[in-house]
Amino acid sequence: MAGPTYIADDLQHVRLVELDGLTALFHRPSGMTHILAPPAPQILAALSEPGDAGELAVRMAEAFEVEGGEEALTARLAELEAAGLIRRT
Amino acid sequence: MNETGENEAKPDRGDGAQPSRRVVLALGAAAASTVVTIRPALAQTAGSVLNCQIPVPAPQAGGSYIAADGSLVAPGTPGAFAPAPRPLTGEEVKALLNGGRTPAGLDSQSAQAYANYIRRLQAGMSGFTCYASLQMPR
Repeated sequence: MAGPTYIADDLQHVRLVELDGLTALFHRPSGMTHILAPPAPQILAALSEPGDAGELAVRMAEAFEVEGGEEALTARLAELEAAGLIRRT
Repeated sequence: MNETGENEAKPDRGDGAQPSRRVVLALGAAAASTVVTIRPALAQTAGSVLNCQIPVPAPQAGGSYIAADGSLVAPGTPGAFAPAPRPLTGEEVKALLNGGRTPAGLDSQSAQAYANYIRRLQAGMSGFTCYASLQMPR
C-alpha cells in the first residue's frame, strides 16, 4: 500500500509517564504536554522506525489483536502528525 | 487493507470461546480523538523550542504553492512560491518574523511568503505547535 512514510520523534526527546490507562507525554522540543489514549502510544512505539500505514499495521498486528481498519489508522496518524509527535520522512 | 489484521483480529466477545494471550488494541472510530494537547501558559523551554520545525506548507498540503500573502494556491500559480525546500527551524522562523532575516538557502521574497503562511497557521496544522511555542513569553 503506497502512502506517506512516518517516523516518531526520538524517544530521547520525550518523557512518558503511564497514568492508569492513559499516557502523559512531555515533548521536550516543543515544551508541550500531551495526554494519549490507546492506540496512540502503541503507534508511537511502532513508528520508532520509519513506516507507512501498511507497514505500521503489520508491526502492530505482531504485538496486538488490532481492531479497526485503514480509515481508523489513517485518522490516528493524522492526529499524531497534527500534534507534532510523528512526522513524514 | 487486510494487513491491518482486521480480518484476523476478531473482537473479543467476552464469552471466553476463543481465549487469547494477545492484547486487543482498538484503533477507535475515525472521528474519535486519542491525543489531547496541553499548552502551558508559560513555556519554560527557552532554547529548545528554537529547534522545532515548521514545514511550509504542511505535509497535508504537499505540493501547494504559497502566495505572497501566505495563502495556499495551486502548484505553478504565477507570482506564488514553490514549497520551502526543507522545514524551517524555530530559530529561523523567530528571526524571520521578528526582523525579516531570510533563512539560509532561501530568497527574501519567498521567505516573506513563508512568513505570512506561518502567521496564518492554526491549531491542528503541522508546525502550529512550534509556532505557538515561539510566541510564548520567556
